[in-house]
Amino acid sequence: MSSGVQDTYDRAVFGTWLYILSDFLFFGTLFAVYAFLQKGNDTNKLFSLKYAFGETLILLSSSTAAGLAGAYLHRKDRRNTLIYFFLAWILGAGFAALEFLNLFSIASRNYTWDQSAFLSAYFTLIGTHGLHIVFCLFWMIVLLLPLFFTQIRDVDVRRLTCFRMFWQFLNIVWIFIFTIVYLMGVDGYYG
Amino acid sequence: MDDHYGWNCSLKPQILGFVISLVLIYAAYRLDQVHLTNPSTILFTIMTLCVLQGLAQFFFFLHLGMEQTPRWNLYAFLFTTCILFIVVTGTIWILQSLDHNLMRS
Repeated sequence: MSSGVQDTYDRAVFGTWLYILSDFLFFGTLFAVYAFLQKGNDTNKLFSLKYAFGETLILLSSSTAAGLAGAYLHRKDRRNTLIYFFLAWILGAGFAALEFLNLFSIASRNYTWDQSAFLSAYFTLIGTHGLHIVFCLFWMIVLLLPLFFTQIRDVDVRRLTCFRMFWQFLNIVWIFIFTIVYLMGVDGYYG
Repeated sequence: MDDHYGWNCSLKPQILGFVISLVLIYAAYRLDQVHLTNPSTILFTIMTLCVLQGLAQFFFFLHLGMEQTPRWNLYAFLFTTCILFIVVTGTIWILQSLDHNLMRS
């Protein structure tokens, strides 16, 4: 890469990094509110830990697949980049489906978001994460389309690296959701 | 190409991050089901495992701290963690004291 391209790349990555950190702060406030409002609520009737653990494994695999695709992207290996990003997309779509199915099944059992402050906090936290994932799935399709027609250009490396960082960040947020909402909720630590 | 790109092209950190995350998340999951010790110890342990896994993923997946100087990414990250800590503990503290003083009378 020439130094001009390198500068643009570094600036884009740093900008994405700052956006990721601001999103981290945003999720932090949702976590704080959730942790407070969960007190005195039995979460066992809402969800099962096994289901959430399954979701965790799927998203972790998706995050790793995106990471591998990112490495192939820097090697300008178009075939492997597409294969691993496709894998990441499939796993991510599966995760999004499981996440929203979970929300719908809770709502269909009459535990809707307007019942209590705790349920509002739960739906907001999980729903916000789910929406991030869904928008990322669209974002991934838009960025990958050009790769079917041309070789990997510098601009593709930059865009897909920014995307890959954000996708892997969403997995980190999910780790915190899994611990704070699911692991700690099921045992009634907030009791 | 500098070292930054060497690290970016390598598959190793991704695989390593995946394996470490898998071990940590499975440990937390099993610990939550088996109940080896008292609840507060388990709570502390799973929170520690969670933070460790978060840091491992920031390091192996997002390449935190692997950049060359000046390390703006690292400084921005540390600054955000400080703010995050203040916001989260502050929110919980204020809400709890409001709850205690206004709702339980």
